[in-house]
Amino acid sequence: MVRRHKRENSDTLLTRMTLTTPRYVGIDLGTTNSAAAVFDGEQVTAVRNAQGASLTPSVVRIDGRGNITVGARARRYLERDAKNTRGEFKRLMGTSQDLAFASADITRKPEELSAEVLKSLRKDIEDQFGFAPQRAVISVPALFELPQNAATSEAARLAGFEQVELLQEPIASALAAGWSAEESAGSWLVYDLGGGTFDASLLETRDGLLRVIGHDGDNFLGGRDFDWAIVDWLLAQIKQQTEVELSRSKPEHTAAITRLKQLAEEAKIELSRNESTEIAIIELPVPGGDPLDLEVSLDREMLETLCLALVDRTLDVCTRLCKTHGLDPGGLHHVVLVGGPSVMPIVRRRVQQVLQVAPTEGLDPMTLVARGAAIYAATAGLDARPESRPEPVPESQRVWLQHPAMSSDLTPHVVGKLVDSEPDKAPGEIRVLRSDGLWESPWTEVDEEGAFVLSVTLIPRRPNIFRIEGRRGPEQKVAIEPPTFTIVQGLTISDPPLSRTVGVALANNRVRVYFERGAPLPVRRTFNLRTVETVPAGSEECILKIPIVQGEFDDAHLCRLVGSLELRGEKLKQHLPAGAEVEVTIELDRGGRMSARALVPSLDQVFEQVAHLLVPEATPEVLAANLEATQQRVIELRAEAFQAKIISAIGRLNSIESRLASLETDVAAAAGGDTDAAQKARRAFLELDAEIEQIELDKRWPELEEEARETVIWASATIADFGLPHEAKLLTDTAKAIEQAKNNRDALELQRQLRLLARLGSTASLRHPHAWHHRFERAASKADQATDLVAAQALVKEGKVAINKDDVPALRRITQKLWQLLPDDPEDRKLGHNSGVR
Amino acid sequence: MQQQQTDPLADNPFFVLGLAPDCSRQEIEREGQKLLGLLELGLSRAATYQTPLGPRERTPELVRGAMAELRDPKRRVVHELWADVAQATSVAHERAEQAQASPGEAPAWTDVWQLFDWRAP
Repeated sequence: MVRRHKRENSDTLLTRMTLTTPRYVGIDLGTTNSAAAVFDGEQVTAVRNAQGASLTPSVVRIDGRGNITVGARARRYLERDAKNTRGEFKRLMGTSQDLAFASADITRKPEELSAEVLKSLRKDIEDQFGFAPQRAVISVPALFELPQNAATSEAARLAGFEQVELLQEPIASALAAGWSAEESAGSWLVYDLGGGTFDASLLETRDGLLRVIGHDGDNFLGGRDFDWAIVDWLLAQIKQQTEVELSRSKPEHTAAITRLKQLAEEAKIELSRNESTEIAIIELPVPGGDPLDLEVSLDREMLETLCLALVDRTLDVCTRLCKTHGLDPGGLHHVVLVGGPSVMPIVRRRVQQVLQVAPTEGLDPMTLVARGAAIYAATAGLDARPESRPEPVPESQRVWLQHPAMSSDLTPHVVGKLVDSEPDKAPGEIRVLRSDGLWESPWTEVDEEGAFVLSVTLIPRRPNIFRIEGRRGPEQKVAIEPPTFTIVQGLTISDPPLSRTVGVALANNRVRVYFERGAPLPVRRTFNLRTVETVPAGSEECILKIPIVQGEFDDAHLCRLVGSLELRGEKLKQHLPAGAEVEVTIELDRGGRMSARALVPSLDQVFEQVAHLLVPEATPEVLAANLEATQQRVIELRAEAFQAKIISAIGRLNSIESRLASLETDVAAAAGGDTDAAQKARRAFLELDAEIEQIELDKRWPELEEEARETVIWASATIADFGLPHEAKLLTDTAKAIEQAKNNRDALELQRQLRLLARLGSTASLRHPHAWHHRFERAASKADQATDLVAAQALVKEGKVAINKDDVPALRRITQKLWQLLPDDPEDRKLGHNSGVR
Repeated sequence: MQQQQTDPLADNPFFVLGLAPDCSRQEIEREGQKLLGLLELGLSRAATYQTPLGPRERTPELVRGAMAELRDPKRRVVHELWADVAQATSVAHERAEQAQASPGEAPAWTDVWQLFDWRAP
């Protein structure tokens, strides 16, 4: 054993020595299957596992002795040993759901199971390439929520990766397709139908730049839903042939349903190649009865009938995405199909019919995402090789280099800075030489900050290795550390866009938007907020919450709570009074991982622990109540829509109603113990709530138009009187945007623009000579409701003195303090995720 | 650290990247990458950029945002217009200062009504 270990180490060392150029690793951590790929700057190679397959089922088994099995071997037990074998845990990532393994009497979190899959892939890479990767890019669905991203990063950490970046799956697919395409210019649609989710992304390549134009998707639609459609059909067949009635909502039928689902999946795959198949149901367990044996025939025509509505739902998403970005389906140049279910003939056929372009051939839909992730690792400079630390050359000068790891540009810049340089030993000039000896830069002077900027020339479509040289005088060479660097010439990828708006919920149930949807990642932003209540130091009960939400709505309660910063009394150095300033910073990295911090300047204290970064629980009782309430709301809205003759609302309500019907199945399955169905239902309700809210907003359209008219009149008059020239120009811009929102009848956008206009008008109005006088009068009239009555009364008194003295700066300071003491509506605060700031 | 307010003049992506409105797409990528490198290394030459409203602090977020804006052809056109407006009215800064000194004398804004097909009040 020891010898073997030594041999492996020496092999690894040998391989590392021969790996002179970086290796980049990409991993597709899928719901059903996972895959990995390695990119060397020229070629992308799919990683084979011990069984020689490029796909590893995302299934983990833990037996009674605690032995862990991953992949195809574990998958064999999914049906016959369901209590000790788990699959599809990706759907539960970011939830607090513990998954039990009965024989070993242990539970594991979804990220711990994902870590086992990652470990297995890491081992496969080591076996095939001779090194255990330390860094990698892992793909995640574009619509993953922040807690799900955080759980994925945690899984990678548990699997032993030192550093990972997350990448949205559609970008990975397009990157892989763009890399392999001969002629890649034009618009791309990536149609990614995975096991549990559907993503459609619109991209564009031009001059070597791959840009994400936008994406859309359905978090509740995947190949699994096709399987369930077959299962429901099978249940009807069983009832017809044997009169045995099995149901997904009964926990005692779980074993039979699991078996049927596996048979359904196999039949679906079989029917991608053949016109018909026989489904042999053998010894299907029936509680309280004899096991069932029967054979059912399923042909492709029936399968397509069962799945057509689901396929068309994916195409509705695609056409909506194209329409949003002003593109007719005929304007698409390429469609790339990704994911196992996309190999179904009906998918290819309907895609071609609806999108009017044939899917790109020759790409492996199963490993495309992993390949793209590996290429992306190169653009991010994420060399997977273990860090080798060669002895530095004595007297060498360290430099800190900045350059693109991958670039479409043939002459990118390289920026460098000397580190810890001593004046008499530092080089005065630097140059770089390409390893093929055919190109070198001129000697470039190091400036007074110890920095230099060089332009390098790349050979297309390959890794370019450069050597760096330094000299102090014409004859005195200085060794540079690191002595070489690599740039791969290929594609430039634009920064990934944020998939949903992120902000902080405020105590008045509004949202302070930090980053708008589409903002290029990474991003970081700080806002000064104010506390709305006093938090006594040392108090264990008093916690001031700063909820972080994701969503496109103005009202916080419609957005999803994705994390919460907590200022706990027990951790405070001193009392934190109401109205105290808190600097809240939110940061998202390129993969959408979030970190947040709150600095309280008056106490010089920082709070960084983001609590409750979890997808909320979904209990069957709550789901059932939600279902009933939503159904009722739809009935009421429909009646109102008929009365008011709002045809568009009726259409949308019909669509919601049909989705509610399929949700009923999930809610029933949740009652039967299916936690996955419960999470799916929970997210579906959030989406439906948002849509219903949009319909209600549309109902208010005449009011909104009136509000728009009034706000424009007020802002125009104010800016005309007190505005600056650039505010007048901003007014023109906003007015145009308002007009466009009105033409598109886009209530959300209209609201957003009205907010901007109100801010603009409000800024200008502050130049009114009596602006602060009026504001003070308004605040003073509510002083009797203040959170600190004594302080408010004192401020009112001070304000009156300031008015008498005509001391505007003092009046402004006093009014602002007074505002901070005025309370928010408790009901609003509750809705705003109990926010303690505004 | 309060995020500075965005301003279509001062935060115009062409100013942030220090490029002319007729620059090529490749130049945007090249210059953006260079500025991000310089900012990462904390070098003074990238710390500020010039605008008609005076010099402004340059941050990696502003550079990335500027690159993203100019990669989108539709949004680039808008920024080209703003950059041209700013350059054509090179006295914008002085005008702003004058207006601030005497707000009552700022030019009235009446054309907005036409945008809405409304009559001026």
